Amino acid sequence: MNSAGWIRKLSVQWSLAIIGILVTQRGIAQVNISGKPGLLNIPTARVLSDGTFHIGYHYNPSHYDPRSANPNARNPDSLESVGSSNSIFYATLAILPRLEVNINIFRVNGYIPLNERGIGDRQFDIKYAVLTERERRPSVAMVVSAPFGIDNSLVTYAAMATKNFTLSENVTAEVTAGFGSPYYFDRSDNVGNDYNIFTNYKLHNKNDRPNPYLSGPFGGIALRFKQNLGGMLEWDSRHLNVGAYAKLFERWTLQAGVINFDQITFGTSYAVSLRKLPKRLSQQTAIPK
Amino acid sequence: MRYTSRLGVVFIVVFLCWSVQVGFCQQDRQRSLMNVENLTLDSTAQRVYYEQRLYRNPVIGLLELSQALSLPSATEFVPLYQGIPIAGYQPGNNWQTRLLSRSDRKALGKLIPAGPGHYKLDFRIQPEVIANFGFKMDPFQTKTSLLLQTQLYLSRGLVLNAGVLFPITNNYDNQPMNIRPAPIYLNQFLALDEQNFLSGSVGLFYSNQYGVNLQYRRANLTKPWSFGLEASLTGDYYFPTRGIYYESMNKAMVLADVAYRFRKHDITLKLSGGQYLYQDRGVRLDFIRQIYSVEVGIFAMKTSKASTAGFNFAIPIPPGRLAQSKRFRLRTTEEFRWEYSYNGGGNNVGLRYRLGNQLDALLRQYHSDYLRQQVP
Repeated sequence: MNSAGWIRKLSVQWSLAIIGILVTQRGIAQVNISGKPGLLNIPTARVLSDGTFHIGYHYNPSHYDPRSANPNARNPDSLESVGSSNSIFYATLAILPRLEVNINIFRVNGYIPLNERGIGDRQFDIKYAVLTERERRPSVAMVVSAPFGIDNSLVTYAAMATKNFTLSENVTAEVTAGFGSPYYFDRSDNVGNDYNIFTNYKLHNKNDRPNPYLSGPFGGIALRFKQNLGGMLEWDSRHLNVGAYAKLFERWTLQAGVINFDQITFGTSYAVSLRKLPKRLSQQTAIPK
Repeated sequence: MRYTSRLGVVFIVVFLCWSVQVGFCQQDRQRSLMNVENLTLDSTAQRVYYEQRLYRNPVIGLLELSQALSLPSATEFVPLYQGIPIAGYQPGNNWQTRLLSRSDRKALGKLIPAGPGHYKLDFRIQPEVIANFGFKMDPFQTKTSLLLQTQLYLSRGLVLNAGVLFPITNNYDNQPMNIRPAPIYLNQFLALDEQNFLSGSVGLFYSNQYGVNLQYRRANLTKPWSFGLEASLTGDYYFPTRGIYYESMNKAMVLADVAYRFRKHDITLKLSGGQYLYQDRGVRLDFIRQIYSVEVGIFAMKTSKASTAGFNFAIPIPPGRLAQSKRFRLRTTEEFRWEYSYNGGGNNVGLRYRLGNQLDALLRQYHSDYLRQQVP
């Protein structure tokens, strides 16, 4: 083989590899408090590529405990309703090309009254991308929390639109605007009788609590450098938050931020694509033609 | 002069790299061939019969073997399950699936050997996690164990499953932490023709149930519809520190299901119903997505007791093969299955026991569309 041909072949392979990296990067990036594609607290309409799976952890600071002033969550030893910091564990899977399912467990750090104890509030959310992003159109997605919960804190009934703008070769801006419904259904009046998952739904208003999660208009912007490093600014319907993230080894994301210029939040997640064969088999040479 | 010597060095380095690579390739091939068992090459018919237990995803075994053998592209690969051929697959650009008729199977019975001599002594490390969340005094009740299991291939389709269970934690129930036998049961798998399959199990199953389980499934591996029947009679058992405790076989389970498989995204919708354990009657709807080596499902069910919903998954546990020779193998399990039910545990809604051999789960792994769509 002559050297020119060899180089040409190599460069074709390289460009294919680079395109491959760009394509896989599209779906794998940082996520929000409950493990959905998003900024710090807010979800965005960014669509995960089919088969993407990620797990992670997020820490929510005490002044912004969505459960404070919840009569169930109050510490009987203290007269005031003091918030606790929270730990959120989550797993998200793009189970279909536009459909993401998310399970998150919300745990209160510190004292929990006996009747409130558990492994945490388990919440199951579904996100559907109504529109995918095009050159002149944002992606639009909806998130709905399953109403099976007894006392879910990060209930997300939201619709949002997200558009990416290329600022330079390496920098993109991802802009999101959305609205979260203050009204939601759950089964919180059902404690002690949780044998029928499909009954006893009641309508609630998030604004009855001092720290409602995602109730009203929200939005934010993320500036990304090569999709691996970025800064975020968001309005989460109550507070203005800033943060930053870094992605390591294509799969591992670390992020941190300040909520309301007051307390620190942080999180980490690990993402893989399940739609993959082992490398040794995924080459074209796998099958004799 | 200097130039030529440099060229010489470059040449030698390139040659060395090449020869090392070729050596590696041959080693890789040998290793890949070691992964399969009961390999029969029928060169006149251009067919390869083989069994592989290492990978949950049959495509990995198929492609690996195809790479290792580098046979002509028209070669058909026929995977076996417990020594019984499932179907013939011809990979490559023009994928073809050939279902095996009754007469095909009769002829293959003479060609493909069976019995323990054609299989490795295979040991599988299988974790087991039973959990109940929600008991206020102790919200995270779990019973985790590590099972060291083996399968003895007695005759065609007949396999004895046995093993040892090593308890790791238990704040779930008051069973002592003694090392005890893992589930021990016989399973006979039968393929009657193109689309009729049978599976019968007798012995001590998972979930502390012993007894008899029979399954029938009509599944054409190239078509979307399939349906199945399952009937069983079981009773409780467990191993205290000494001996065995058991009750009479007083639990009858009778289930029927119909499933439709959507080709586009490897989705199966399965509607099943009948009587579950503890005479709980009801219906269940499953949404199952097969994603390469993984299977993820969401379900909802309503029974005479109550209603519930949840999710389940089946994943291989890495790293897979740990040590292997021609006659022996130690590996982590190819399938760890787990289900979360909103109120399963204590309330026994639509409860059933787990059995390693479940025809619907097995056959959808060999569906032509699922395999074909993964081939690069």
